[in-house]
Amino acid sequence: MEVFVAQALNALFGIASLAIVALGLAVVLGLLGVLNLAHGELVMIGAYCAWVAQANGWPYLAAVPLAIGVCGVLGYAVERWLVRPLYQRPFDTLVVTWGLSLLLRKCAEAIFGLGYKSLHEPIGGTVDVLGATYPRYRLVLIAVSVAVLGGLVLWYARSRTGTRIKAMVGNPDLARALGIPVARYASSTFVVGTCLAGLGGVLIAPLVPVQPFMGLDHILMSFFVLVVGGLGSVGGLLTGSTLIGGANSVVSALSDSTGGYFSVLALAILFLWLKPRGIHAR
Amino acid sequence: MSQPFIPARRRILTAAASSAALGTSVGYIGAAFAQPKDFKIGFFIALSGPASLFGPTQRACADLAAEKINKAGGIMGRPVKLIFTDAGGPPAETAKSAVRLMLEDKVDLFIGSHDSATREANIATIKGKTPYIYSPVYEGGECSPNVYCLGETPPQQAQPGTEFLAKEKNAKTFYLIGDDYVWPHKSNEQIKKYVAQYGGKVVGEEYVPFGAPNKFEEAVTRIKGVKPDAVICTLVGADNVNFNRTFAGFGLDKTIARLSMLLEENTLMGIGAENSANLYSCMGYFANGPSEVSKAFKAEYMARYGAKAPQLATIGADCYSALNLAKAMFDKAGANDMKKLTAASEGLSFDTASARVTMHGRQVDKDMYLASCKGTEFEVFKTIKAVKSGTACRA
Repeated sequence: MEVFVAQALNALFGIASLAIVALGLAVVLGLLGVLNLAHGELVMIGAYCAWVAQANGWPYLAAVPLAIGVCGVLGYAVERWLVRPLYQRPFDTLVVTWGLSLLLRKCAEAIFGLGYKSLHEPIGGTVDVLGATYPRYRLVLIAVSVAVLGGLVLWYARSRTGTRIKAMVGNPDLARALGIPVARYASSTFVVGTCLAGLGGVLIAPLVPVQPFMGLDHILMSFFVLVVGGLGSVGGLLTGSTLIGGANSVVSALSDSTGGYFSVLALAILFLWLKPRGIHAR
Repeated sequence: MSQPFIPARRRILTAAASSAALGTSVGYIGAAFAQPKDFKIGFFIALSGPASLFGPTQRACADLAAEKINKAGGIMGRPVKLIFTDAGGPPAETAKSAVRLMLEDKVDLFIGSHDSATREANIATIKGKTPYIYSPVYEGGECSPNVYCLGETPPQQAQPGTEFLAKEKNAKTFYLIGDDYVWPHKSNEQIKKYVAQYGGKVVGEEYVPFGAPNKFEEAVTRIKGVKPDAVICTLVGADNVNFNRTFAGFGLDKTIARLSMLLEENTLMGIGAENSANLYSCMGYFANGPSEVSKAFKAEYMARYGAKAPQLATIGADCYSALNLAKAMFDKAGANDMKKLTAASEGLSFDTASARVTMHGRQVDKDMYLASCKGTEFEVFKTIKAVKSGTACRA
């Protein structure tokens, strides 16, 4: 029973941590059609922001504005000078953002070195959940992920800006004719995506080795989430995270990590083959 | 089309002839000055990819050794020249570089501090034509001609490690977890043998895909359910960091001892002070090892590179050891000849970064150190003298 509860929480944690890391990629790819291959590196930068905050003895929450600031400025610059000239040219944006990911990795290497940085968990220790002892920080991460996702869904559904973004995505020309500043909204959407990546980095930083290559792991899994879930809706993100993260966790729990990883790859291949637009196709 | 038409074949012939003439004249001038030719060493270290974490240390240690050797007259009277070459990419790419080093640079020796897959690709390419010293910890059993291995082998790590857990930690049940490639599998074969020998039992064994984005919550929960007395871990790099952080995060560090088979200073830094309780390592070199040789090496290293010196660790220090072996072996053999080198290597004594060792069967019998983690530092508490490599290659 204890093991069962713990493994169930592990699955929940797997899904939540995947969703929060994939969220930024989903926003940018879903709404702007830009596959940002540097997304993992923005997660990495967020994680380094958390390390900088902790190394300076600042409270952990200070990492959040720091990461959002750094990733926001970066996101703005990237959208303005790299991505904007290349909208409607998906392959070119792919190459540009891939180059950007290499550059960002090298920058991190130059600033922080290649060594692993280790952060201590801001909320340490374990708690009892239905008889299973579970690390407190992982539970907090699940809660924060749910809150961030929920907040974003509500805002997108209810706010005027959300409606205008929908208009921009649906028909940019008509939106422009109606006086919606499409370029500015596209820029903001991109910035929101990069900020969310930074936030994801801050959240996972205390759990993983922080190093320049860490982004590679996250971009891969996030991409699988979008392949399975489909683009452009939070429902797709949730379904994708649940299927990919859930399959990984459940199969890992029942057999081993090789099985878990195999199930992720098998799912991604099956979807690309049979349902290339994902479950929630727009 | 103002250029006159010259048949391609003739153009090539002219070019070849003139460059040949130039080549001989340069060679002639060179001979006139009678400078000894450089002793060129193709030095494989990771300059790209995740393993390049060790690159700065590898380079610093190798340069230090080369400077010392050159001050002492070089190898066979020839000044040593190191050609650092990337081994951080796919093995096939590194093997291509090996071909270039053999044909263009005409290196006298290869030294490699990289993973086993790259070693196998290199050996298949070099085919013993150029001697090859392989320096890092590895799975043992490498007996290809003209290859000389320096690293710790599974018997050298597994025997003292398992004995320590069984006798001093009173471990009866063991759980093995590792990355899914040759080194962890070979190491676990040995570990299982010793666990049985000490009356213990292996209650679980699992491998995670090598190079995949692994997470360890499920494995740690499984280990928690099995409740072993000790976990022996053959994970490497980021996986090792990740596993140990998760393990301690779930609070298992208080009750279960962990022995990691490739735990050095960089990895421990990543694991972090609050996750390193009850964690042990068994290696042939620690930066703060107790032997006089290792203290002298460290002092020399710090004097050369100062406060900004890259972190000393077993991967890196092995490069220093490899060059010492090269000097001792070539000077004794007197010629770059496979038979003479192999003969010279047998029973050859030389200094590694941690102790004076002896080579037998082209492997090294060495002192092993057991260390416990105190925060992000190692504390060596036991030295096991002259442990046999368990591999003996025929001459």
